Amino acid sequence: MSRANSRQMKLGAFLMAGGHHIGAWRHPDAVAEAGVDIDHFIGLAQMAEAAKLDMIFVEDAAAIRERNVNIASQAARSTGFEPLSLLAALAVNTSHIGLVATASTTYNDPYGLARTFASIDQLSGGRAGWNLVTSASELEAENFVSSGLRPHAQRYERAEEFAAAATAVWDSVDAGAYVVDGNVYVDPGKLHPVDHRGTHFTAAGLLDSPRSQQGRPVMVQAGASDAGKNLAARTADVVFTAAQTLEEGQEYYADLKARMPSFDREPDDLKILPGVSPIVGRTESEARAKYDALQELIPDEVGVALLASYLSVKDLSQYPLEGPLPEMPQTDGIQSRQQLIIDMGRRENLSIRQLARHFAGARGHWQLIGTPAQIADELEERFYAKAADGFNIMGALFPAGLEDFIILVIPELRRRGLFREEYEGRTLRENLGTRIPARGA
Amino acid sequence: MHIGISITPFGHHPAAWRENGSPDTMDFKHLAAQVKKAEDGALDFAFFADRLGRRPIDDLSPQAVPFEPTTLVAALATVARKIGLIATAATSQHEPYNLARRFASLDTISKGRAGWNLVISPETVAREEEYIDVVSGLWDSWEDDAFVYDKASGRFFVPGKMHVLNHAGAHFKVRGPLNVNRSPQGKPLISQLLTGDTLDIAARSAELIFIGARSPDEARALVADITQRLGRHARMRSDVRILANVVPYIAGTAGEAREIRDRLDALPAAGEKPAGLEVFGSPIGTADRLQDWSETFGIDGFMILPPLVTESTHAFIDGVIPELSKRGMFRNAYMGSTLREHLGLRRPPHPASRSAGASR
Ligand SMILES: Cc1cc2nc3c(=O)[nH]c(=O)nc-3n(C[C@H](O)[C@H](O)[C@H](O)COP(=O)(O)O)c2cc1C
Repeated sequence: MSRANSRQMKLGAFLMAGGHHIGAWRHPDAVAEAGVDIDHFIGLAQMAEAAKLDMIFVEDAAAIRERNVNIASQAARSTGFEPLSLLAALAVNTSHIGLVATASTTYNDPYGLARTFASIDQLSGGRAGWNLVTSASELEAENFVSSGLRPHAQRYERAEEFAAAATAVWDSVDAGAYVVDGNVYVDPGKLHPVDHRGTHFTAAGLLDSPRSQQGRPVMVQAGASDAGKNLAARTADVVFTAAQTLEEGQEYYADLKARMPSFDREPDDLKILPGVSPIVGRTESEARAKYDALQELIPDEVGVALLASYLSVKDLSQYPLEGPLPEMPQTDGIQSRQQLIIDMGRRENLSIRQLARHFAGARGHWQLIGTPAQIADELEERFYAKAADGFNIMGALFPAGLEDFIILVIPELRRRGLFREEYEGRTLRENLGTRIPARGA
Repeated sequence: MHIGISITPFGHHPAAWRENGSPDTMDFKHLAAQVKKAEDGALDFAFFADRLGRRPIDDLSPQAVPFEPTTLVAALATVARKIGLIATAATSQHEPYNLARRFASLDTISKGRAGWNLVISPETVAREEEYIDVVSGLWDSWEDDAFVYDKASGRFFVPGKMHVLNHAGAHFKVRGPLNVNRSPQGKPLISQLLTGDTLDIAARSAELIFIGARSPDEARALVADITQRLGRHARMRSDVRILANVVPYIAGTAGEAREIRDRLDALPAAGEKPAGLEVFGSPIGTADRLQDWSETFGIDGFMILPPLVTESTHAFIDGVIPELSKRGMFRNAYMGSTLREHLGLRRPPHPASRSAGASR
């Protein structure tokens, strides 16, 4: 029975060519060449749209992800589509689903990036979203600047200014500015040229496309540091996060939403979607068997290297695999995920090897292994306990992992009135229920 | 001969929007319909200019396309699956790593039909050359057969077939490798609109060159100049395709065709007329003129700049193309599947395979 007026979950499909499980590409059901097959991605987006999911999401780094070529060559993470061209291709092959991709404020310029997202927003009729990141990896820094990875604080300072400049670009053209009636091409009263001169950028001129059908592209963020959470509280419509336990999720949720009033925003203007990797079986043992089959596919050195990269340490292989994680120094990498890993190891008393194998399933995101009812119970609990406004579903492998969730779990969520039967609208903002921003707001 | 078409919402005449414009004309469907029409005529490619490379960015011109070109081409690649697609991007707008990635990705999405129309600043030639070398080097990050996807042994790619660029030059420092596979065409095609101050860069790097001359004499002179410069960069005339820009006014007779131009010229317009040779004629007369130019200029074909959309585009595809095909001067249907194959250009071998071949 559906409770039409009650709050419902927002669900995203976090796509990844090789699957979220590090060994998934080796699974017999995985499409090994997914990273170069546009029709594979079109198929996934259409599948997610048929299930009425809010959005698909593709992450990004402007570099390969592993310096050690022997390790890199054993995973599917080194190459793939550039996300904005991928979104553009998906935009004209779908009609309702939101299309979200990562782009860095550290290695782009605000005018060019705002313009590119505006273009995707036009192509999709108002369904684009930008996951704003500041890029924490050294391998990315080495593709752009000679001085190495910039410090965390400096990256966020630049990100704040970038977001303001990009917003000004989107706001430079009002709805209805293009008259095109034979006499008047544009109404100059509806144009507001940008003249941004800041510390990091100067941006001038007008957006070269009409105003988005959703006002502006949806802003997504995944900040977990203080600076990151403040940027999210001020600018984001959607926030992604990784939380292992209910308590971690609640703490993050309460913290982020509590920051919003000081930026004149209502807590409901921002949807928090933790990542979750569900491994679904019709029975518990079927689910467990699926998980075990995936765990078979992780070479130890690949798992340990992945863990090391998220801890931002060069090498873990010098420590005994069966021993605990050593003390870790703080770095300029992703501090929150470092902490999550350290906590996970301590809480469950895991050796490096066990921790690495656990982490290899979803890179620190929540993993759920069970029947549709068990998984729905867990999601429902976190949803009502104010740890989540919905979830970013991370298929362990594709298409099977996403398909299982859609076929088995979505109907269960619908039965409980937790997920929509039909899209509310055509734009991403309409479906998320976030406001269409006024110009300059 | 080889024929491409430059796509805009209203047409290349600066007053075209006054005759046929409405806000709907600017949407994707309308542009996609033009590209499909060009594909029906088996044209080599559809081309997308970008005013941001050269113009003040507050110029909302009716001659511009209201989409960022690389994302537009990505979208078009999935709805038109045969024609080549060339997007303009200026070296001043993108970091080389980002640009190399975007175009490699476009080539993968389009299964080998993408081209980068290079826009550079003539004042900074050394930087531009280094930029192009970085992009080209990044496109060689992976050998063609690097990815083996060996599920049983757990080897996704062969480590020795990944090449780290490690570029450190005067203007750029880029480690690499590119995080996109070597693309279906080996490398996306590079094109350039020839201007007086960028001839040497074109002679060094472009594989497809557009001549934006307004008179036959100017066109002949540019072709002669560029042909001569190719030698200085150890390239042969057959390594490149040179196309002259043409603005075709097509009607029952040449006189009626001129009337279309006069009618448009009489309307108030802010922009410049496109840089290209105007031709006025019936379909047969237009084909005669193109045949004559292609035989006497030393060129390989034309880039069509339809002055008025959709009329000029349809008249060209439905009238002139069949006439050229009948004369054996243009294909009836696509023979290959990549942009390089359409243009009869070779697929660049990976440097590693080249040296292996040499040592054998
Ligand atoms: C679901 C999720 C997706 C993310 N995607 C990316 C990404 O695509 N690229 C990236 O550089 N960082 C990504 N991040 C990292 C965040 O942007 C952020 O840097 C991280 O959570 C640490 O927060 P901080 O930047 O405030 O320290 C992601 C994080 C999460 C939780």
